[in-house]
Amino acid sequence: MTLTETLVKPKRRRWSPATRRNFIKGMLFISPWILGFLFFTLYPMASSLYISFTEHHIRTASEWIGLENYLNLLHDRRFWTSLYNTVYMVVIAVPLELLCAFVFAVLLNLKLRGQSVYRLIYYLPSIVPLVASSMLWMWILNTNNGILNVLLGYFGIKGPSWLTDPTWAKPALIIMGLWGIGNTIVIYLSGIQDVPTSLLEAAELDGASWIQRLWYVTIPMVSSITLFNLIMGVIGMFQYFTQAYIFAAAQSGRANNVLGSPLDSTLFYSVYLYDRFSNLKMGYAAAMAWILFAIILVCTLLLLRFSERWTYYEGGER
Amino acid sequence: MTNIARTMERALGRKRYVWQRALFKVLGHIVVFGVGLFFLVPALWMFFTAFKSSKDVFRFPPTLLPYDNQYVTINGKAYPLYNVPVNGEMRQLAALKIAEGQGTFVNPNDPTEVIETRARYAEPIFTIKFQWRNFSDAINRGVRPGLKVNFWTYLKNSLIVAFFTIIGTLLSCVPAAYGFSRIQWPGRELVFMLVLSTMMLPYQVTMIPLYLLFTETLKWGNSLLPIIVPSFFANAFDIFLLRQFFRTIPEDLVDAARVDGASELHILLKLIIPLSTPILAAITVFTFLWAWNDFLGPLLYLNNPEKFTLAIGLQDFQGQRNTEWNQLMAAAVVFTVPIIIAYFFAQRTFIEGIKLTGTKG
Amino acid sequence: MSGKLVRLMLTMVMLSSLLMACGKKQPAEVKVDMPAVLRVWITWGDDPTQIQELFNRFGEANNVKVEVNSPVEADKVIAALSGTEPPDILVLGGPDDVSTWVNEGLVAPLDELAATHGIDLGDIYPAMLAQGKYKGKLYALPWGSDTYGLYWNKDLFEEAGLDPEKPPKTMEEMLEYADKLTKVEADGTITQLGFVPDFSWSHIEQYVKLYGSYWFNDDGTKVQLDTPEMIAALKWEQQFYTKYGIEEVLRFVSSTGEYSSPEHGFMAGKIAMMVDGEWMTGDNFIGGLAPDLWYGVGPIPYPASKPERKGTNVVGGTVALIPSGVKNKDAAAKLLAWMMSPEILAEEMVANFNLPSSKEAAKDPRFRANEKFAVFMDLASSPNATFHIFTPISADLLTELDLIEQQVLHEGADPAPLLKAAQDKLQPMLDKALGQ
Repeated sequence: MTLTETLVKPKRRRWSPATRRNFIKGMLFISPWILGFLFFTLYPMASSLYISFTEHHIRTASEWIGLENYLNLLHDRRFWTSLYNTVYMVVIAVPLELLCAFVFAVLLNLKLRGQSVYRLIYYLPSIVPLVASSMLWMWILNTNNGILNVLLGYFGIKGPSWLTDPTWAKPALIIMGLWGIGNTIVIYLSGIQDVPTSLLEAAELDGASWIQRLWYVTIPMVSSITLFNLIMGVIGMFQYFTQAYIFAAAQSGRANNVLGSPLDSTLFYSVYLYDRFSNLKMGYAAAMAWILFAIILVCTLLLLRFSERWTYYEGGER
Repeated sequence: MTNIARTMERALGRKRYVWQRALFKVLGHIVVFGVGLFFLVPALWMFFTAFKSSKDVFRFPPTLLPYDNQYVTINGKAYPLYNVPVNGEMRQLAALKIAEGQGTFVNPNDPTEVIETRARYAEPIFTIKFQWRNFSDAINRGVRPGLKVNFWTYLKNSLIVAFFTIIGTLLSCVPAAYGFSRIQWPGRELVFMLVLSTMMLPYQVTMIPLYLLFTETLKWGNSLLPIIVPSFFANAFDIFLLRQFFRTIPEDLVDAARVDGASELHILLKLIIPLSTPILAAITVFTFLWAWNDFLGPLLYLNNPEKFTLAIGLQDFQGQRNTEWNQLMAAAVVFTVPIIIAYFFAQRTFIEGIKLTGTKG
Repeated sequence: MSGKLVRLMLTMVMLSSLLMACGKKQPAEVKVDMPAVLRVWITWGDDPTQIQELFNRFGEANNVKVEVNSPVEADKVIAALSGTEPPDILVLGGPDDVSTWVNEGLVAPLDELAATHGIDLGDIYPAMLAQGKYKGKLYALPWGSDTYGLYWNKDLFEEAGLDPEKPPKTMEEMLEYADKLTKVEADGTITQLGFVPDFSWSHIEQYVKLYGSYWFNDDGTKVQLDTPEMIAALKWEQQFYTKYGIEEVLRFVSSTGEYSSPEHGFMAGKIAMMVDGEWMTGDNFIGGLAPDLWYGVGPIPYPASKPERKGTNVVGGTVALIPSGVKNKDAAAKLLAWMMSPEILAEEMVANFNLPSSKEAAKDPRFRANEKFAVFMDLASSPNATFHIFTPISADLLTELDLIEQQVLHEGADPAPLLKAAQDKLQPMLDKALGQ
């Protein structure tokens, strides 16, 4: 049954014994999830929603201030900066990573020698722990001594100060992110390999070139992969934190660890939220968390809605 | 057209096609190789940095291989060699002491000849040297003396977390996925939407109250419980994957079993699970990887170093004023090696698993 | 009463007063119920072994296990402070957060505990003690302090034709000297810089104090950002950037190495002068990483118009506190008293190359062994040594200030309107926070 059918279908007045039995069985099977949902999701959600309407104090009682946290957010310049930075990453990094993953997967699918080695090489960086790879890239992106700029220098290009120039800090993080897309590449690779050869052969017979086959057959056939990774990518990118945090922490021992340097260009939403949390502004942080949730919800629903036209699911419907 | 002409045209055409094909292949090789460099070079640098000495990590111009001072032994002690300009000529001397800009050097062949000069003008001599001790240093580091804690403790904790997380996940997600796919009950789709929507919940929303719940109410602070127990209550992602897979199992098989009077549990255990080994293997692998790398949970809940996992242990290298890069990379290499080995052995299962999580619908 | 009894009583009185007089010199041995474990959290620390060994001495002497956790992440600290099982003693890298935490009731007041367990507050340098006070009460004790001075590269001075033994005295001279020490290529690329005011991090607090002001007034009730001194200090800093092109300066600085590495800008001879802390002279830094460096240390230059500010420096540094959630505060206080005792303090400070906060500990000859370190000792005890004032909005102010400074230095912005905007924003916040 599709979602629309479920919602539109009139509710039955009475359940038959069989239905009742099935209901009980169903509930039993999913009971662990229900319990977990109640205790580890619903209760904390309610609690933090409450906190977002208060000025939360730790030892003394919290005071109810209604929508004040939310209103202050609207006037907070850093809030908008953090939102902008995060949306920047969502809009640029997520599609870019998907595109590259797909292209690289196509490359890895070519009939060339040594593909199994290449596949390992492309995949390996994605299993390196995030702390290690973030710091590794901090070295690579060093303005004069990092190999990236040294290499660019060989081509006569004066590479920018990736880590200290506000214009280039986010692109630097994006490049860093591209290094770890091995996981997605492999997913796309298996998706591409699963495209029925009959379809490809038929297209070839019809006179389609390699590119046309790619565009009209392969890409649509992997569209469900694309959608899934797009949604998960968007959700994940809205919560982007670790790399930016390590970025800030690794920059030559500042006495006050100011997150978001240079000039707040890497102040992402989660980073700012964390900053508020560290400064004991719990109510404010909770308000930010709920706004984030709302944003993610809206984006996901929009994506799902607009994807119906270009996604193809094997077996017809979801 | 005459036969000859037609044959010639076809021959020429094919040749052009072949030529095009060859160019294509060469281009392909170049591009694949080029992209491969992007992925490989940083990894190689990471690997070799694990062998460098602290001073060598940021050498300019950057070198791939590890270099270190060349030493010479005089009277049983080792001294580093320098190129020192003396009276207009460059000589190789051993450095006895360098401090405050002044250097005291000695002729390695004639230790009685002592030369003092401003250290600025002396250049150390380097040679390729692999610092294997970085690995033992990394492993022994993060030790909190006074507590019997070391790398192996972290490893043990990581394995415990991974093991129980896998068990908890399988035990809770498999029945749940079955309930969402193979049993028809009213409201099923609605509840499933709810399950999916939890994937959109950012962790920040529940972080603080959850922390308070685990540490204050349940008093589980400082143990591995807050990290392991939630996995026994299923998670949306794995439920989704399993459900996708279960739906590919033909309805008729299940129906037939029901007609034969089998209980749902029986169907699940005897029919569905045996058919699901690929997806179960995949989930095992991915849960392992996730638990192995998870650090937010351990970061928040583990204060006692005896309970630390490897992921936090790695954080240790990020010192406040400096970072022991070489040890960090050595630790990262050690951290990643089990996964690489696992990859080689389980390559097929790995790829199969990743393929299955590609959600083809 | 019989004479004998009177004499007995008098003797008793004399004896007890004698004992009390003796007790003044040593910490009074208050009977304390020791728990099984005492936990000490330190937010910094590159050598956990050394610190644990140090604390084990207390543990052995008092039959208790002392667990040292170092370094500890900041968010763990907050989580623990808010919970029911905070560490018994928390040692922070700086007192910035203390006032916020006191406001939230997370820190135990120390006045009484210090008196009971014999911590001699008079022995502590006033500037260092003042940092831990908030609203007149004591909440944190300094465990080793830092101060900042001018470092200069004597080799580069010589090369540039300057007398290596004569560092710049005034801020105006700094500009001149920096100019002579900066090398720029034809295309604008910098190969050597004279001075970068916010290298390795900002020292705006030093500069503004040198101009004679600070961003809070003395009792912490007013925000003083929009002042001529702040503007002057920022404008002075700005010149070091704008003179050679902000882009180029930023490029050059970002290409220098990590703080604790031989590629550090100053250690590698790329930046000729810098303002930094006393620990730099130690084996963990220049002493060990760049022994070939010929350098000097001295006070930070003062503005030519204010010669009375000569030798001004802002003392800051590590503080130790007891979280309010600790159940057995006496046991924690006893450990704290031991930490503050001159011998232990001296031991730890020598190991870490930090300044001792106790005058008694400062007498230890080891502190004078390194003549460069000794310069900092003198600075910290000089009459012009000052300290930070903290208020509940310190964290917010420092964030704003950091952003302003970045904009002024890295973007060439005009400081005056930025400072005014920040002050207008922060003063109401302070008023509200103090009104509580």
